[in-house]
This record gives sequence, structure tokens and C-alpha cells, in this order.
Amino acid sequence: MAADPLVLGIETSCDETGVALVRGNELLVDATASSMDEHARFGGIIPEVASRAHLESMIPTIQRALGEADVDLSQVDAVAVTAGPGLVGPLTIGSSAAKALAVGLGKPLYGVNHVIGHACVDQLVHGPFPERVMALVVSGGHSSLLLVDDVATNVTELGSTLDDAAGEAFDKVGRLLGLPYPGGPHVDRLAREGDPTAIRFPRGLTARKDQAEHAYDFSFSGLKTAVARWVENEQDAGRPLPLADVAASFAEAVVDVLTAKTIAACRAHDVDTLVIGGGFSANSQLREKAAARCAEAGIELRIPPIRYCTDNGAMIAALGSAVVRAGVAPSSLDFGVDSSMPLTTIHV
Amino acid sequence: MAVLSIDTSAAVGVALVADDGSRLAARRVDERRRHAERLAPMIADVLAEAGLTRADLTAVVAGTGPAPFTGLRVGLVTARTLALALGVPVWGVPSLDAIAVEAVADLGLTPGDEVLVATDARRREVYWARYRVRAHEGPRGVPVVETVAGPDVGKADAVAAAQDPAAPGARLVVVGEGAALYPDALRSPALPADVMAGDVMAGDVMAADVMAADDAPALPDAAVLARVALQRRAAGQELPTEPLYLRRPDVQEPVRRAATTTGGA
Repeated sequence: MAADPLVLGIETSCDETGVALVRGNELLVDATASSMDEHARFGGIIPEVASRAHLESMIPTIQRALGEADVDLSQVDAVAVTAGPGLVGPLTIGSSAAKALAVGLGKPLYGVNHVIGHACVDQLVHGPFPERVMALVVSGGHSSLLLVDDVATNVTELGSTLDDAAGEAFDKVGRLLGLPYPGGPHVDRLAREGDPTAIRFPRGLTARKDQAEHAYDFSFSGLKTAVARWVENEQDAGRPLPLADVAASFAEAVVDVLTAKTIAACRAHDVDTLVIGGGFSANSQLREKAAARCAEAGIELRIPPIRYCTDNGAMIAALGSAVVRAGVAPSSLDFGVDSSMPLTTIHV
Repeated sequence: MAVLSIDTSAAVGVALVADDGSRLAARRVDERRRHAERLAPMIADVLAEAGLTRADLTAVVAGTGPAPFTGLRVGLVTARTLALALGVPVWGVPSLDAIAVEAVADLGLTPGDEVLVATDARRREVYWARYRVRAHEGPRGVPVVETVAGPDVGKADAVAAAQDPAAPGARLVVVGEGAALYPDALRSPALPADVMAGDVMAGDVMAADVMAADDAPALPDAAVLARVALQRRAAGQELPTEPLYLRRPDVQEPVRRAATTTGGA
């Protein structure tokens, strides 16, 4: 295999069908089809609707990626695919397609971890990771803090959410405030017009008693309940809701905890580079607070552009590329997808 | 040169047939959940058994159901993607058609006879379709059937109650796993007596236990699926690989909470 193999990556863990081509750390093309419009009216992702869309989008998305990069399938050196975590039905479509490509092309197959892909994609944007980086992966499905010594072979999960993911909490609060689904971007937009210090909402797992066991874990479920209770009280009292202030104060509570714990982890592990990935890294308050706190702590902050933070094939091709170059053995054709794949599994 | 055929409508079946329809290699495992784990290795296995490589494949065939969704999609996305990788055509054939065609051959049915195929749709329902035999041995030696009702999905007793009798002198047989799963509905006493029009073999052929015990097919045979595809292609038919779901996704649109607030944006 060439020193810099051409890796085709397939991502189908949720509602986006993503196909990308990566050579080394260079992204050749990233094609995505989304079924989000079909889910919006249901107020959440419907796995069966997503699975049907993945089946119909798979071939057109592969063809679009190949066409835009002017690459023939015969040039592909390896196939990478999300093996988990995610929704079983959608994951199954991607893994089946990837296996078929591997069999049809006679090329090795690599099933990789979606969450670690969210961190790895930054290598396509900002270049290879230094020796040790901290990665905060935050999305509608995940909130994880990872110590990355080698993205292909050595990743340690320092903490994660015990209940709701950060993006999930935003979607739920969005619903509470009567905003359209998905609530995250709407809450963010509203929050920009509000005062983040207007209401002091609780910061989950920051009490002294939580530091021993949950220093780097997150919890947003109690915060969501606190917002609901606050809103109820105001409504019962017949007062108009200061929607923008509620959104801004809620976002502040989420972002404050995420960044404070992440910076503390960087200090504790003597890490001076922080990567933030996942769809929730589009959040403007998170970006601002992370930038301010990293500057203050002398930590280099790397956040890829938003289009690489949402689910896409590039993140999977990027991790596949790293795994291939690390000399890891290919996955067996009989691997099964794992909806709750632990972060100790980088590849299967 | 060979055609690879895949059916994941119930179990996982893979076959390689030569361009003349003869079986070169086949595998079937009675796996109802982990289709995606089993299928790809089985494809590699049949190629190895037949002493062929992927470059020898001239087309890929897939059973289009109707079937439980997740397993069905594994076969379809595998067939489509494999065909793309190989640069060969992909053809779809309803999985129930393969059962009907095999029943015609195995049970010696003749033109005018009819076959009711019923498979397991879970949720106490069956997928079903009814066929009329056009030729016991059609072009390329493969039986020809026409679909006269279905494919559809429903409770076994409702499906049985909705069946019209076969034409006078013709036989109606019930085959497929659904017949064995719901014998009370899909065996002779439950169907109207005149459904088994004609007198020849009616009692024998009708009974689900005979079907299960004897030669009648219960599951689609991937090799038969390939033969049907080759026959239909030779006749110039289009063979789309769209899945026969027959059911909508189980979802309900929520009643949107009215915005009960004022102020803000």
C-alpha cells in the first residue's frame, strides 16, 4: 500500500449519509445527504425514516463523492466506516455498504469509532495532532472529554455526560421554549440577544463532593429541569418570559461547565492543545468561552469549521486514514455495529 | 462468468449461478437478526467455493422482499454497492416470487394452478402474494408465474378470508413460512372449501404440514431468485431494487406545543 493510502470513509450513525475521500491528512471530497427535513416534523430523529433514507442515498452519495474528486473506485486503497456508536438501523446500512465495497474492490475494511472521528477530523483542517491533545466532543448524542495520545491507537476517556448530551439539552430546552426542532441553533440564535448572567442556573457535577468521582463528567439533565421549573414559576406568576435571557443563561450554564472542566483536564494532564468537535461546537457561546479560557490558560484551541463538526464522511475517512497509517490490522468482514460503542474502542 | 444472488428477506441466502442458471455454489444460514454480520463473509465463501473471483461476476441480484426492514436493507445495500464496485448491473426480484417459482417446480404445478405465498411479517402478520402459473417450464427452463394479488401484509386469518377460489379444475397451494406459522388460518379448513377448486390433490397440497414436511419451499432460494432475474432480463423486463416495505415507519407526528410565551425574539 502507498505511504499515503487513499481512504474512502462512510458515515451513517444518525441522519446524515456521508461519504468522503482522504489521502493522508488531505481531504479530497466530502459529500453528504441528510434526511433531517423528514425528521423535523416529528421533533426528533426517527431511526426507520433515517434508515430508509440511508439506503436510497448511499449509491448517489458515493457517486457524487467520486465524481467531484474525479476518482475511480479502483484507486481506493482502503474503506473506513462508522461501526458505532449511533443508531443500529442507520449504522447497519453504512457497514453493509462498506463491506460490499471492500469485497467488491478487494481492499481492506476498517470499522471505526464515530466519536473519535469527531476529534480526528481536525487533522484535515489544522494538520497532524501534536504528541498529546485534549479533545472535547460535543453533539446531540455525545459529550465526551478525551485525552488523545495517538488518535489511531491510544485514546483515554476522561469523562462524559451521565445523562443528556449537551446538544440534546439544547434541543429539549428549545422545545420547552416553544422553538422549532432541532432546538440547538434556535436557542443559540435567541441567546445572542440575551443576558447570560440574568438567571443563575445550576452547574451540574461541579460541587466539591462530585470532584472525586466526576471531575470530568457532565450532567445536563438537572439543568434542563431547573430551566423548566423557572419557566413554570414565571408563567404561574403571570409574568412575560424573557426568552432571550433564559436561552442565554441556560447556554451559559452548559458552556461554563464544559469549558471549565476541559481546561482543568488540560492543566491536570499537562496538555497545551485542545480540539473541540461534534455538532454542538457550532454553538457561538461555546466557541467564545473556549477561545477566552484557552487564551487565558495558554492553550492552543483548534475547532474545525462547522461543516466538519456535524456528522460527515470526512471524519470517518480521517480516522480510517490514521488507523491505516498506524499499521492497524483491518476489521473482519463479520464485525457487528455497536450502538453504544465505548471510547476504548477506536477501531473494531 | 457468474451471477451473484442475495436474499435477506428472512434468513441470509447467497448463491452463485452460471449464466445458464446452473448453481455453482450456495450458502444459507438461518440467521434472522445479524444479517449484516453474516452476509459479506458468505459472499466471499461462495466465490471461493466456486473457484471464482469478484472479476468473474457479471451481475448482482437481490431479493426485494417484502420483509422485515433492517434485514431486507442489508441485502439491498450490499447488492447495490457491490454492483457499483464491480461495475456490473444490479437486478431486483421480489423474494416471494422466488418461493412461488420454486413451488411450481417442486410441486409439479401446471398452468392455471395458483400459489399463495405467505411469509413471516412478525407482529402476528404475514407478507403474502398470490400467483397464477403461466408455464411449468418457461424460457431457460424456469417456471413462469404472474402475480394476481399482493404483495401485501396482513393477519393470516384476514388474508385467508380474502382469497377467492381457484378456477375450476385448478389447484391452489399455500407455501412459505407463514403457512407453517399460522396453520389454523392458512390450511384447508380455514379457507373456504371451494378455494380448493378442483379435486386433484387439493387436500394434500393445501395442508400446511404437507408443505413444511415435503418439497414445498419455505424460504426464498437465492439461486432461484437469480434464475428468475435472468429469465426476466432476457424478456427485457426492468428489475428495480426498490424495497417492498409495505408498511410505513412507526411514527406519529407530535402535537406541537403552542408557544406560551411572550417577549424575546
